[in-house]
Amino acid sequence: MPPGERAWRNTLVLPPAAWLLLFVVMPLAIMFCFSLLTEVPGPTTKAVFTLQNYVKFFTKDFYRLLTWKSITMGVWVTAICLVISYPMAYYLAKVVRRHQTTLLLLVIIPFWSSFLVRAYSWVTLFMEGGVLERLLGKLHLISGPLQFLFTYPAIIVALVHIYFPYMVLTLFVSLEKIDDRLIEAAQTLGSRPWSTFWRVVFPLSLPGVVAGAMLVFIPAIGSFVEPRILGGLAGTVIGTVIEDQFLVVYNWPLGSALAFLLLVIMLLVLGGTAGIRKLAAGRTGGER
Amino acid sequence: MRTRGLTLLLILTMIASLALTTVAKEKVLRVINWKDYGSDVPWAVKAFEQKFGVKVVHDYMASEEELLTKLRTGGIGKYDVALPNIAYVPIAINENLLEPIHTEKLTNYKQLFAKFRGMKELRKGNTIYAVPWVWGSTSLAYNSEVIKEDLTSLSALWDPKYKGKITFHDDFTDAIMTAALVLGQDPNNPSDLGAIKKKLIEQKPLLKTYWSQGDDWSKLFAAKQIVIGNAWSGQSAAMRNEGQPLKYVIPKEGAIGWVDSWVVVKNAPNRDLAEKYIDYMIGADFLTRWAKEGSPAPASEAVLKTLPKQVSADLMLDQATIDRLSYISYRPSAVLRQWDELWQEVKATP
Repeated sequence: MPPGERAWRNTLVLPPAAWLLLFVVMPLAIMFCFSLLTEVPGPTTKAVFTLQNYVKFFTKDFYRLLTWKSITMGVWVTAICLVISYPMAYYLAKVVRRHQTTLLLLVIIPFWSSFLVRAYSWVTLFMEGGVLERLLGKLHLISGPLQFLFTYPAIIVALVHIYFPYMVLTLFVSLEKIDDRLIEAAQTLGSRPWSTFWRVVFPLSLPGVVAGAMLVFIPAIGSFVEPRILGGLAGTVIGTVIEDQFLVVYNWPLGSALAFLLLVIMLLVLGGTAGIRKLAAGRTGGER
Repeated sequence: MRTRGLTLLLILTMIASLALTTVAKEKVLRVINWKDYGSDVPWAVKAFEQKFGVKVVHDYMASEEELLTKLRTGGIGKYDVALPNIAYVPIAINENLLEPIHTEKLTNYKQLFAKFRGMKELRKGNTIYAVPWVWGSTSLAYNSEVIKEDLTSLSALWDPKYKGKITFHDDFTDAIMTAALVLGQDPNNPSDLGAIKKKLIEQKPLLKTYWSQGDDWSKLFAAKQIVIGNAWSGQSAAMRNEGQPLKYVIPKEGAIGWVDSWVVVKNAPNRDLAEKYIDYMIGADFLTRWAKEGSPAPASEAVLKTLPKQVSADLMLDQATIDRLSYISYRPSAVLRQWDELWQEVKATP
């Protein structure tokens, strides 16, 4: 590479690199420093180095219990999103030929309202004496009050609703990329629809599945707003504990340590999915 | 054409800078308070400004912790008065963020309830640093249409009779202090946190949900999802005024109280004026009018005489109530963290 071009390249890289350094690496580094202190350093507080915040996580059972609860919550949300989104994305990518853009727009529309508004809308819907109770009562599906608000499933429903568009969009992109001629070839060679799907379409869409799952799973395990609003007694998760450390007790060091541990867990999961992706690439003879 | 435009611009700049200097020359009193919390109602600001020829400028806080941060980082010598909860006054005194207050100069000081004036949080030795302003309580509230009997004990919040119809504040201070009251421990200095934790876990299966915002409470109550819970005195009074069948009681065990107080910030630019301002804020003129507009309970006894009976009854402005409350006192951060962890553990228990 001629020196002039190299210099030009370096200049081009500079803004995004500076951005990453300033707004991703630095804040994380500051947070990591906080997590190793006893106090937030201030004019009257004396901050001393400690590992106590990390030790707490491993000695007090409930921190791990809540982290596990958040992870299972993430798994439920991701699984349900996948089951709902796959047929939708398939329909959009392979079946519909007209109005595709309009339909995609309909998927995206929920993004336009704040997630806080959406969480509160569910409250109105699920409330005892609310819309859903009256509807199900009219249909004679339930008798008596609907005991759904302030339960764990209520949180799952809200989170699925908030995150499924990410799943639909990533699946749509990866399904649309699949060459229709491959499907036709499978059919010509006598493959039944179900087997065409399992052996041709699904493996080819795996990168989209993994990407979509990550886009849903990661924010879902860190969520705290929906559990707080809809979860009632079941609404305490690791996300709400972290939020309280920052906003209620001003224990930023403990909040940072818990957030960091959550980050490590997410990175491990990401590492695991990289393996799946490699496997998928191997099965279909190369990453597309 | 060009020069004319430039001249015009120059003149405009001169006028603007002239106007700015006049504003700067005008005396300004800087106040830190919660938004929409009495001192910033337009009529009060106007009345004080006209009387003392000063401009009152408000700066808002979102939490007491933020107030402390404001004072620690450049607030000294900039702000004149602020309104912390008394639980935070000792920290501010110890960090040398406050000026002593010449209470003898405050004409309305003696009208304040002696109970509030005497609180230990407000002073260091014989020097007084804070003046009580308004107060309130967190106690038992219930739907009097559903629960016909008169409830007199906090243990109603643990009564299986109301299973699934009880709500409880998602707040570690309220939770631990309420449990301490029920267990007969000192709510400001509980002796057995293990027993408190057990008591709070025992309550969980009986609850409909925890509430966090005042709005949650009124919605749950109005939708008849709950019939009983712990609630704020001010909000309960407001709901009763709206015609809700709500009864708010200070039970035999007592209840949790809080007091907000005015302080003069260290090196306040207008020290004398700051004290005059506090004197105005605690005066019956201001407090009576604000009480009629729906204030928390005023800390002034003189206001009692000027308020309609119904309003003072709603605000529970009687000596007996005031004496029966356990006021949230100052706690070092190590204790706060311990309490928060206990509460998180209770909430995490399936």
